[in-house]
Amino acid sequence: MTKFSEKDVLLRIKDLQIQGYSEETWIDIIKGVDLTLHRGEVLGLIGESGAGKSTIGAAAMGYARDGTRISGGSIEFDGMELTTATEGEKRALRGSRIAYVAQSAAASFNPAHKIIDQHTEAPVQYRIQKRMAAQEDAMELYERLRLPNPGEIGFRYPHQVSGGQLQRAMTAMAMSCRPDLIIFDEPTTALDVTTQIEVLAAIRDIVDQFNTAAIYITHDLAVVAQMADTIKVLLKGEEVEQASTEQMLSNPQEEYTKSLWAVRSFQRDQKSRPTDGTPPIISVKNIDASYTGSAKVLDDVSFDIYPGMTVAVVGESGSGKSTTARCITGLLPPSKGEILFKGEKLPAKYTDRNKDQLRQAQMIYQMADTALNPKVQIHEIIGRPAQFYSGLKGGDLKQRVDELLDLIELDPAKYYYRYPPELSGGQKQRIGIARALAAEPEFIICDEVTSALDQLVAEGILKLLDRLQQDLGLAYMFITHDLATVRSIADEVVVMQQGKVVEQGPKDEMFTPPHHPYTDLLLSSVPEMDPNWLTTLLEERGVDNVGEAADVNQDPPDGKAEDEPTK
Amino acid sequence: MSAFVFGYYAFLILASVILAYVEWRKWFMMVFSLTLISFVLGIVGGTPALRAVATFAIVLAVAAMVSYAFKEFLIQLAKPNLAKELRTAPLTAAFGMFVIFTYAIAGIFAPVIAPHGEAEVIAGAFAAPDANMLLGADQLGRDIFSRIIYGARNSVGLALVATLGAFILGALAGLLAAVKGGWFDTFMGRVADVIMSIPSLIFALLMLSILGTATWVIVFVVAIIYSPRVFRLTRAVAGNIVVMDYIEAAKLRGEGDWYLIRREILPNSMAPLIAEFGLEFCFVFLLIAGLSFLGLGLQPPTADWGSMVRENATLISFGDVTPLIPAAAIALLTVSVNFVVDWMLYRSSGLKEQ
Repeated sequence: MTKFSEKDVLLRIKDLQIQGYSEETWIDIIKGVDLTLHRGEVLGLIGESGAGKSTIGAAAMGYARDGTRISGGSIEFDGMELTTATEGEKRALRGSRIAYVAQSAAASFNPAHKIIDQHTEAPVQYRIQKRMAAQEDAMELYERLRLPNPGEIGFRYPHQVSGGQLQRAMTAMAMSCRPDLIIFDEPTTALDVTTQIEVLAAIRDIVDQFNTAAIYITHDLAVVAQMADTIKVLLKGEEVEQASTEQMLSNPQEEYTKSLWAVRSFQRDQKSRPTDGTPPIISVKNIDASYTGSAKVLDDVSFDIYPGMTVAVVGESGSGKSTTARCITGLLPPSKGEILFKGEKLPAKYTDRNKDQLRQAQMIYQMADTALNPKVQIHEIIGRPAQFYSGLKGGDLKQRVDELLDLIELDPAKYYYRYPPELSGGQKQRIGIARALAAEPEFIICDEVTSALDQLVAEGILKLLDRLQQDLGLAYMFITHDLATVRSIADEVVVMQQGKVVEQGPKDEMFTPPHHPYTDLLLSSVPEMDPNWLTTLLEERGVDNVGEAADVNQDPPDGKAEDEPTK
Repeated sequence: MSAFVFGYYAFLILASVILAYVEWRKWFMMVFSLTLISFVLGIVGGTPALRAVATFAIVLAVAAMVSYAFKEFLIQLAKPNLAKELRTAPLTAAFGMFVIFTYAIAGIFAPVIAPHGEAEVIAGAFAAPDANMLLGADQLGRDIFSRIIYGARNSVGLALVATLGAFILGALAGLLAAVKGGWFDTFMGRVADVIMSIPSLIFALLMLSILGTATWVIVFVVAIIYSPRVFRLTRAVAGNIVVMDYIEAAKLRGEGDWYLIRREILPNSMAPLIAEFGLEFCFVFLLIAGLSFLGLGLQPPTADWGSMVRENATLISFGDVTPLIPAAAIALLTVSVNFVVDWMLYRSSGLKEQ
């Protein structure tokens, strides 16, 4: 904190209290948080979902979301008290002096207008620039953010631009009025690791160049370590601790912070394939697949999954991971090739499979919210497969459901009659697991099961899956883009890119060089806790070789030459 | 200045002051604006205008109080879960529920409530109201009040059955179309288009002229006419649900279409369907009343609000409001159902205040 002096304070939040309205009463969501932000400082806010990160971010603009209210404390932005400011005064600040970058740029841009028109709206509205000047400025910002074809890209509509580019365009838009403060609300959470890097690099550069203060909200520690000068850890609306990034990483004080740091330490011994000639439980043989009327999504994909093993399938979004799962379950019959179950051919369409074949291909879904019927009680969700496949009834069925609830470490007495919306994200995911287990399968497909969960919760799910594998001898096909998860629980890894398998093998081999270039790109793109990781990586790769920016060649922005050498 | 006018202004001013003191700003603004408007009204219209305003305000207040009491009554009776939902109901919805409740009572217990028989001739044609006949007699000397009570049973019952028919047809087809997809979906969609492309009243008149005016024919024809609208809504709602992962999970489990519809899709599409039921009921009710008015609905001597308007229509030229009473009964019910439906739509759309 010595870097910043007292007179540079831009935002000072004191004893902030925010309440949310639910069940006809006001409940405290933020219970007295203090926050001080200096000009040019980047503050990382981290915590689980529900910790109040985004609420504080919005409060920094003097904004309380629908159903919430600021009930106490003060928010002072550059000498102006926002809690008592009129709506008009606050509106004058937003967009011009405080800007906001949302999690999903795709959902935040208006699809009916060109990107540059949305970009120039704020400066023109605030009479900072004329339209043409604002457009030229936008192009310059696009160039600084290393967007391809900066002169042209703004004239496209949001859907014509990729997710990473859109997120950068949104950052450029936030910069359009040269605000003093930008609030980044999980800007890279929805992106692939390879795309994430370029967005991170772009955000960091632009914040440095204009000496903008920023609040960076995320749940990813490794990301925040790259971005922030100071880190504040939140838990259930209260501050746990705050320290400079180096200090926080090397020497966390509180137990909770330590537990957050320790999350990535879970590791399981790697198993190897059985050598006694046991056939693989699932064998994918040379399958091609395409959705109606479009190009091939899968091209000659083959891999084997042996009993009791975990095979991780990794790759960026659009690489065909989930499509492969759909082929195995029979939702999308492959146009070529076949799927073998214990050496026997499975019918291509799920409607042609018999009950015993169906029970073997169980799935656990990414979004537990959409995977569980919100209007059906837990005992029926879990009990139905048991009833359907094993014909259990009455007392036997109830006993089986209790057993399954015990297996997933939820108290049967408490959850038997509950509905999914009453449960937390982690509990819902556990119910999803129980439903898969109820069919008594030997093989389960886990489709990004932890990516929507907080790290601590995800950790719990991974441990549970591991325990179940040991107890019940299950085989998993683990679809993920998170290589940290792969490190912790996989036995074998299959790397996919554009519908092809580019590399596969046991985990230890896959994680030791030499790699296939794509595997290498994926591996090196995973953020690490080291605060200098991004800088080092950019030095190694060169600025223009980051992610999809690799096809663009530009001069490095002024003043950044020492960090990012020209190729 | 009469005592009424004096009391009128005294009450308004007193109420404004009290409301201003307790800082009920919205109510204060309303009452005080009314006071100011009353000054103008009093000058222009004199005492009768003020009397009309006072009567209107009192009727409104009584309706509001009854609605409030009825809502509290329902909350007391309901189970905890339902009671929580009821608490969110606005006064208009409570009013709607009260009216529907009253109609239901009138319809179910019609023979007990009505002082005279449905087709009983007890007086001369168009006899004036007296102690025996609350609203006077109709063109054949039957008690109009008794016929209105019986009308609640006949008109509302018929509309209810016809709407149910439209729903069973439309919802079933819609759910099946959403689950099956493919050619079945396309086929059902085109069938619905064809039915919708025929003007409904003309189609109804045509069918009723051909098939006669038996009750089952009315129900059947109206159900056919209104089922495409239900079909479209159901298909759209179910279409959003069938893409959910839990449906995929159930399909992969090997569940049949009927299980998917019954256990997975229907519970999640109930809210918009119930709201649509209320809305459709109003349309069906109005269509049936219209058919009756044209003489193709329920046949005499069965009491029916639509035909009652026509039978007594001549009275209008004598400045008598009697024929408007069945019409008002129709209007009141449709408005009430709409109040309740609005509240349900509001809840199912997930819009929340603040």
